[in-house]
Order: sequence, then C-alpha cells, then structure tokens
Amino acid sequence: MLMEVKNQIKVMILSFKYAVMREMLNKVTFLSNIIFMILNNSFFIIQWVVLFSLRENVGGYTFNQVLMLWAIASGTFGFAHFFFKKAYSLSDTITNGKLDAYLVQPKNVLISCITSDVSPSALGDLIYGYIVIFLSGITISKFILFTFFIISGGIIMVDIAIILGSLSFYISKSDMIAETGNNFMIYFATYPDGIFKGIVKILLFTIIPIGITTYIPVWVLTKFNLFYLLGVIAFTICVTIFTFIIFYKGLKRYSSSNLMVAKI
Amino acid sequence: MKKYFFIYKSEIMSSMQYIANNLLNFLGYFMHIFIFFNLWDYIYSNPEELINGYSKCQMIWYIVITEVIWVVVGGRKLCRLISDDVKSGNISYNMNKPYSYVGYRLFSHLGEGTIKFFIFIVLGGMVGYLFLGEIPNLNIIQLVIVVISLILAITIQTLCSILIGLLSFIIEDSNPLHWVYGKAVLILGTIFPIEFFPMAVQKIAKLSPIYVVSYGPAKLFVDFEIKTALNILVAQIIYLFIVYKLCMLMYNKGVKKINVNGG
Repeated sequence: MLMEVKNQIKVMILSFKYAVMREMLNKVTFLSNIIFMILNNSFFIIQWVVLFSLRENVGGYTFNQVLMLWAIASGTFGFAHFFFKKAYSLSDTITNGKLDAYLVQPKNVLISCITSDVSPSALGDLIYGYIVIFLSGITISKFILFTFFIISGGIIMVDIAIILGSLSFYISKSDMIAETGNNFMIYFATYPDGIFKGIVKILLFTIIPIGITTYIPVWVLTKFNLFYLLGVIAFTICVTIFTFIIFYKGLKRYSSSNLMVAKI
Repeated sequence: MKKYFFIYKSEIMSSMQYIANNLLNFLGYFMHIFIFFNLWDYIYSNPEELINGYSKCQMIWYIVITEVIWVVVGGRKLCRLISDDVKSGNISYNMNKPYSYVGYRLFSHLGEGTIKFFIFIVLGGMVGYLFLGEIPNLNIIQLVIVVISLILAITIQTLCSILIGLLSFIIEDSNPLHWVYGKAVLILGTIFPIEFFPMAVQKIAKLSPIYVVSYGPAKLFVDFEIKTALNILVAQIIYLFIVYKLCMLMYNKGVKKINVNGG
C-alpha cells in the first residue's frame, strides 16, 4: 500500500515536471503569463481601497483581513489550477472519450488525468497569494498556516471540479453546468462573508464551501482556533473521499468513443 | 456591407440553438448582481444616502447595465480566438476570402452576442426590479438614446478585444494584455462609476475607452442628462472610428509578416 502511494507520488511529480517543461518551451510567453496575472490581480486592491474609503470595515473585515481573504482566494485558485488544471476540463475529457489514454496506464486514473497539464498563469495567482499575505504582515506560523490553507482549499476546489465534471458520466453536455458551478466557487471567494445573510450564508459553508476554503482560514489566520483548523482538515478528507467514490462510480458507466490520440 | 450582414444573421441563427447555454450563463450574471447588491446594501447604511452623487438604487442599476456589456462582449474569449488564429496560422485561411478579417470577426461576434444581449437586458432588468422595486425614470426618447449608446459600447469593446488579439502579430501571446485591459475596465468603469476615483484618475478615465465602453451607457441609464448624452455619443463615434482604423492598420501590417509552414 505504502509502496503504491510512493509510486503514485513519483508519477505525479514526473507528470508536473514534463507539463511544466512543455509550457516552458516558450519561456517569454510562460513568464509573461505569470507576470501579467500578478498585475491583473493587483487591480483588485484598487477596488478595496475605494470601498474602505467609504466605510471603516466591509462585512466586519478590516483592510488587512481583506488582504488575507484575497491571498487565500488567489492562492487556492492558483494551487488548484496550476497543479490540477485538467480537473477543470474533466467534462470534455469524459464526453470526448479522452479518458481512454489514462485508463490504459497502470496508475490511478483520476490522479493521472488531473495532473497531466499545468496552467502557467495560475502560477501567477499562486505567487500573488504569497505577495499579498506578506503585505498583510507575516510570521513563520502564519506562513505555515497560509501554505496549509491554500493546499486544503485548493484540494477542496479540485474536488468540487471533479464532482461537477463527473456529471458527464450521467448527463451529456454537462460542461456548462460544471463551468457555472466552478465559477460560483470563485465569485464569492473574494467578498467578506459578513455581507451575506440567511440561507446564502448557510450555502457558503455547505454546498458552495467557500466558507471552508476561504472564510475559516481568514478567521484562523486572524485569531488561531484549533477547532476550526481540525474542522477544515476533516472536511477536506471527507470531500476528497466522496470525490473518489463519485468519480469511480461514474467511471463504470464510461464507454470509449474510439478516439485515436497519441499521448506523448 | 451585405456580406457582413449575412455573417451577422448567420451567427444569430446559430446562437438561437444555444439559448439554454445563455440562460445558464445568466446564473453567473445573477450571482454577480446578487453579490454587489449585498455589498452596496452593506455600504449604504441609509438607502437615501448619496455616495459620490449616487444613491444605492443608482449604484445597483449602474452595475446591472455595465455587467450586461461585460458579459455580452466576453472579450477575453474573442481575444484568445484571434490570438490563436494568428499563432496557429489559421488567419491565412481568411486572407483569400472576399471580406476583411476584422469585419468578419466583428460582425460574427456581434451576431453571437445579439441574442445574449436581449436575454440579459430583459432578465437583468427583471433582477434589478426584483432587488430594488423601482427602475430609473426614463422617457422613450431617453431610453432609445441609452440603447444606441449600449450598442455602440458593445461594438467598441468588441473592436478593442480584436485589436488586442491582433497584437499577437507583434508579441506572440497577447492574451495577458487583455487580462490587464479587462481588469482596468472592470475596476475603473464597471464596478464603480468613475466619480468614485480621485480627480486625476477621473480625468484619465474620461479620455480612456472606459468612458465609452462601460461608464457612458450606464451613467445615462441611471442619471440621464441631454448634455452628458451628447458628450458620450460623440466620444463613442470618435472611438469607434479610431479603434476600427487601428484594427485595420494592425491587421494590414501583421499579415505582411505572416509565415505559414505547411498545411
């Protein structure tokens, strides 16, 4: 079992390595994608400077907490899209029979599939997350917690993308549903939870788990709370197990489309 | 002009097949409006309060309109399409056709966006009314001027995206430039009216495309004044002419450098 996990991690690292090498064939484009994404994200600071010039706090968040919110939202997005880009096109992979190439590999189908490509611009999001968390004031413990939260949040985001993508095993043309669902995860992540009320707030901590990926991490970074931290860990593990179950249940319904592709 | 009208009509017919997709896209639009409704509801402690000359109701309607332009144009996708055409050499297939590539992309994109525009403006209006219970008081002539301004804004924004896409002739991948341009329009004209920024920024924004592609039509919808309307329409016509000429210049210069290997 341990050997199997070790081998899978080795394959994952090799997969990242070759995907990055492929993207770096054109170094200028690779770097400009990263730099411009950082610049692109920086524009949002202007939005918050304007809002904080109108009110002292927005949704109970101070400017520093909004910076943390942005750092975590950007970091989790970057982590998920850089390392697991293919999770976001799982619908297309399933619908067009592109999963065949991963089925014949002697490794975990889901992990091999979602780690087979990287998004250079998402690296810009990830770096931006770290820049902003440094701007909000950093300590070693905060740095470690932040890194942990972008990994846990990123994993949850990927889990949601896989669950939505797996709908394609049951419904054809479900790519739009998956895209809309994934977008919901992004829309709410950069606004303080204090501006939402009632049922929406409940949804943000359950079906659209932005509360777990972004809001709770901000609370913990502001004032450490072990109970919240353990809650995030437990939620991440449960959702990931659930994701694997959903994907492999769906996989039983998968039929190839006889697509001939060369996977190099 | 007849051939471009035919391209426009074909795209409308084609997009009629994807009305369900547009309705699903509307969910995303609805979420944006919902978030901003909550945000401004929090910022405005009193609905009658004026912030930089705007009431809460005006702020929400402003975003309802600017978001329609933003979603209908979807410039990022168009820029990627053109950039890919240039990078892959596919643009060469359009060189020997009896139409201009810029005209083809413009009318094809406008055709694609027409149905979306009607769906979003009607449903967006309903959402705005649902949240606020009132709509800005405009007579029929003022409403026609706002619609003309909206159409011009969508056309100019489409041309701006084409222009940035064509920059791929110079720099290999122009998509990142569109991210930054798009974000500038989003922050300085879509989310906030330009009155929310310091005077120096306002002066720059009024000379930039932001004034004609985002701020202009939304400002007219929430606070119509004939003098402002004339200013905005004249600025839009000037911008339309300049951006179209720049697109043609960029295309004509770019195709001279094109080098396609094999096929």
